[in-house]
Amino acid sequence: MLEARGVQLEEAARPIDLAVARGEIVGLAGLEGHGQEAFIETLCGLHRPVAGTVTIRTDDGDDAPVISLDGAVRLGVAYLPRDRRGTGILPGQSVFDNFAIAALPRHATLGVVRRRGLHQRLREFRERLSMVYDRPDAPIGTLSGGNQQKVLLARWLACEPRVMLLNDPTRGVDLGTRMKLYDTFRELARLEGMPLVVLSTEIEEILQLCDRVLVFRERAVSRELGRDELAMDRVIAAMFGQGAAA
Amino acid sequence: MKRLLARRPELRLAGGLFIVLLLLNLILNPVRFAPANLGVTLGLAAPLIIAAIASMPPILGGRGGIDISVAPLMGLVNVVIVRVLVERAGMTSPFEIVPIVLLIGLASGVLNGFLATILRIQPIVATLGTYLLYAGLTLTISPSPTGTAPAWLKSLAGTGSILPILAVMAIWLLIKRLPIHEHLMSVGSDDRAAFTAGIPVTRVRFLSYVAAGLFGAVGGLSLTGLIGSADPNVANSMTLLAISAVALGGVSLAGGKGGLVAAALGAIDIFLLQSVLTYFNVSTFLLQMAYGAALTVAVALNSERLAQLLSRGRRA
Repeated sequence: MLEARGVQLEEAARPIDLAVARGEIVGLAGLEGHGQEAFIETLCGLHRPVAGTVTIRTDDGDDAPVISLDGAVRLGVAYLPRDRRGTGILPGQSVFDNFAIAALPRHATLGVVRRRGLHQRLREFRERLSMVYDRPDAPIGTLSGGNQQKVLLARWLACEPRVMLLNDPTRGVDLGTRMKLYDTFRELARLEGMPLVVLSTEIEEILQLCDRVLVFRERAVSRELGRDELAMDRVIAAMFGQGAAA
Repeated sequence: MKRLLARRPELRLAGGLFIVLLLLNLILNPVRFAPANLGVTLGLAAPLIIAAIASMPPILGGRGGIDISVAPLMGLVNVVIVRVLVERAGMTSPFEIVPIVLLIGLASGVLNGFLATILRIQPIVATLGTYLLYAGLTLTISPSPTGTAPAWLKSLAGTGSILPILAVMAIWLLIKRLPIHEHLMSVGSDDRAAFTAGIPVTRVRFLSYVAAGLFGAVGGLSLTGLIGSADPNVANSMTLLAISAVALGGVSLAGGKGGLVAAALGAIDIFLLQSVLTYFNVSTFLLQMAYGAALTVAVALNSERLAQLLSRGRRA
């Protein structure tokens, strides 16, 4: 579905290849600043790599290149950013506006937005993600961090994406929300066959969710661990560059 | 009305001011505001109302978005209609003049949008450039007041004065139903978050300038109707009044908050204030000061910072 070929995050760094299949959850781990963030941003077109290409398989079986974020969104990529306050929520806008913003064009008849349909979708997601908010027109700032994150997740799910890229999705959310998000991610992958790429700063999270993990070191993948090799000490060893020895 | 105010708190101040000023005007000047004269009175206010509405979309887009060339564009449209289209090209029919005028507006919007969003020149500098360009062009075409406008245009100052406003409102209502409106508000709210949500930020802002140009051209029609001739000096003074009206109406100059009702209400407030003060034969210099004071007080009252300071004072 999503494929990265020969992606180099900097000159002379080892190229990264990744092919994410249907229903697969791939984790990205590494010490802060070792390239995993740049890599997930490359996958969604936010970051231009030094070399290499990222492609998405479209409905007619072609591989379309990802070169810009809005282009990637049109191809069915959903990217949940890490900095919820800075680049996630639209402060001052309502819950509904925050939810609806990405899905507006696909809920329009001849360009005119069908608000009723979008309100219906929001109610469905409220149920499914157990979101807590007073009214759809309440300001987003009145929600807890976890509920804001659920609104952002619902924003992308409403677009019915082909691939979801999650950049530290449970940062600063409470435990209940975290479990709910994990369930939702698993459901998306298992039941809908949606591929997910999850960057996480918490190794626990990677171990719980992912089928395999790419561990980054010095802006390249130092080690790839499959389901049966996934263990806390191996991931940590790879993070510190002791992958080959372990 | 009450529900509208509850949902749109930024309208409260301009709405309150509107009621007070309207009552004052009704007491002081009952003839002018009698139902029979409403068309003429609205004709007096229409150019400023439309100028304010035209100034609004780039401001909603945030990050310093502003179009100060709206009023000079209206002046340019005015002299082009009277001196070029009517006198030189001999056109009289609205079906010839209106499309040309709208095209001028679109071209101006595209130029401003190109400078401010694609070349990313500071919007205030970019539109100051086009401001001077239009003002100079206007004076070149018609150095002094002269000529007459066609009769159908003059009727826009009387019975038909609501038409240009209705046209602008209709266009805005259409825009409000399209994704672009929500996109513009979200870009104004936080452009980085909007970008991360896959919104083409530059295109949305560009289109906000195009809308400003289009509305400005309609304002030019209304202005021509009001003065009935070509006058190169009338429009420019409206530049800052239009921006003031937008701010007075509660449209956030930081972007993302406000709408057509707010901008129009702000413009009507300024017009009513003007009307009250002229009744007392106040000099134009004092009039300027009154605008300045009203604007500063209004923006201060609308500011969230003041609310914060007040609530902190109450708690302490």
